[in-house]
Amino acid sequence: MLNLLAVVAQTALLALLAPAVVGYVRLAKARLQGRRGAGLLQPYRELRKTFGKGMVIAETASWIFHLAPFAIVGATIAAASLVPVVSVTQPADQLGDLFVLTALLMLGTFFLALGGLDPGTAFGGMGSSREMTVAALTEPTLAVAILALALTTGSTSLGVIAGSVLKMPAYAIGPGHALAFAAFLIAMIAETGRLPVDNPATHLELTMIHEAMILEYSGPYLAWIEWAAAVRLTLLLTLAANLFVPWGMAATLAPAAIVIGLVAIVIKLGVLGLLLAVLETRVAKLRLFRVPELLALSFTLALLAATSSFFTK
Amino acid sequence: MDATFSRLTMTAASAMLLLALVVLWRRHVAAYITAFRTQSIALAFVGVVVAWYGHVPELFVVGLLILALKGWIVPRLLSGIEARREGVRELQPLVNAETSLLICGALAVAAYEISRPLADVMNLATRGGLPIALALIFVSLFIVVSRREAVAQIVGFLMLENGIALLALLGAYGVPLVVELGVFLDVLLGVLVMQAVVYHIYDTSTE
Repeated sequence: MLNLLAVVAQTALLALLAPAVVGYVRLAKARLQGRRGAGLLQPYRELRKTFGKGMVIAETASWIFHLAPFAIVGATIAAASLVPVVSVTQPADQLGDLFVLTALLMLGTFFLALGGLDPGTAFGGMGSSREMTVAALTEPTLAVAILALALTTGSTSLGVIAGSVLKMPAYAIGPGHALAFAAFLIAMIAETGRLPVDNPATHLELTMIHEAMILEYSGPYLAWIEWAAAVRLTLLLTLAANLFVPWGMAATLAPAAIVIGLVAIVIKLGVLGLLLAVLETRVAKLRLFRVPELLALSFTLALLAATSSFFTK
Repeated sequence: MDATFSRLTMTAASAMLLLALVVLWRRHVAAYITAFRTQSIALAFVGVVVAWYGHVPELFVVGLLILALKGWIVPRLLSGIEARREGVRELQPLVNAETSLLICGALAVAAYEISRPLADVMNLATRGGLPIALALIFVSLFIVVSRREAVAQIVGFLMLENGIALLALLGAYGVPLVVELGVFLDVLLGVLVMQAVVYHIYDTSTE
C-alpha cells in the first residue's frame, strides 16, 4: 500500500511539476535575452485556456487522430511512473526497467507521428517523417547511455542504478559516466525537441519538427499533447539529474529524507533547466541535414561509454 | 585514494578523447584549435594528477610546460596560420561526419580490445586509462588522414602527440625530464616548420 502510494505520489509530482519546468526554462531564456518573460505559471494558464476551447477536426481524420493524444499521455505517464524522482526506492521498478522506459517513450513518439500523418496534411507528414528520422537515432542512444550506467552498477533497474551511485560515489567519476552523460544530454535535447535540433518557440516554419506534427490538433487534444511534451521534458531532466548526480535523493521513505529529496530534485531541475536555457540562447538551430551528424556523435559517445564500462568492470 | 587517482586520470583521459571526437563533427579550423587547446589543458591536468598521486615531482614541471607550450604557444601559432588564410571556408573532409564518427567509435572499441591483455598484466592505478590513450591515438591518426586542410591535419598530428604523451604518463608515469624536454622542442620545431610550409602553400595557391 505504501509502495503504491509512493509510486502514485512521485508520478503525480512529475506530472504536475512539468508545466512549471517548461515555464521556468522559458522564463530563464527570456531573461537571458533581455525580455521580462511570462512567469512560471504561464504554461498552466495556457493549458487551462486550451482545455476550455472547442475543437476543429479535419474531415479526413480517422479514429487514430482521436486515439493519439490519449496514447501519448498514457505512454508518457507510464514512463514517468518508472523514474525515481524523490526517493531511490521506486517500487514500480518491478514493472519495468530502462528498456521498458525507452520503449514507452518510443511508443509516445510513434503515436505522435501517427497523429501527425493521419489528417493527410503536408506539414504533418513532413513533421512525422523528420521526427522518425530523429527518433530512430535518439532512442538507441538513450538506451545505450543508460546501459553504460547499468553495466557499472550491475542492474538495469533505474532505482537501483541511482541507489548504487549514491552508495559508491566513485562510480560517478569515470569515463563511462562522463561520456554517457554527454551522450544522454544530446539525445535528451533531440528527444524533447529543443534547440539546436528543433525550435520549441516557432510555428509554421519549414524547419520545425514537433510543432509540425501537432499542427492539426486544437482544443483539449492539443492541451493533452502539450502537457505530455512537458512531462517528457521533465522526465528526461529528472532522469539526467537522478541517474548521474543522485545526491540528495531519499534512500528510505522517512519523512525527513523525503523533504530533503524534494528540495534536492527542485534544485537539480533548476540547475539543469538553467543550463538548457543558456544552451538554447547560445546556439543556433542546426541545418536539418546536420542533425544526424550530431546524433551520430551522441551515439558514438554512448557506445564508448558502454564499452569502457564493460571493459573496466 | 588509489580509486580517486584512477578515476581522475580516466575522466581527464576520456575528456581528451571526447574533444578529439568533437573535432570530427566541427567544420571550422577555429573549433579545431579550441579543441586542441582544451585537450592540452586536460593533458596538463593528467600530468599534475600523476605527479601528485604517483609521487613524481618533476611531472609538475612537465605539466606546466604542457600548459605553456601546447595550451598557449602552439594554439597561438595555429591561430596565426589560420588568420593569414583569406576567407572563412567550411572544411571539406574526405569522409563525412557521420561515417567518421562511426569509424572512430569502432576504432575506440578496437583500442579497448587490443589493450586488454596489456591492462591485465599491469598493476598501475592508471591502467584503466590506457585503452583511452590508445583510442585517442587511433582517432587522431584518423583525423590526420581524413582531413584535407593543412591546419586541420596539423591539429590532428598534435592530438596524436597528445595521445602519445598521455600513454607515456599513464603507462609509465612519464618519461625522464630530459626526454620530455626534447619532445617539447621537437613539437615546437615541427609546428614552426609546418607553419612555414603552410604559408608557402597559401602563397602558391593564391597566385
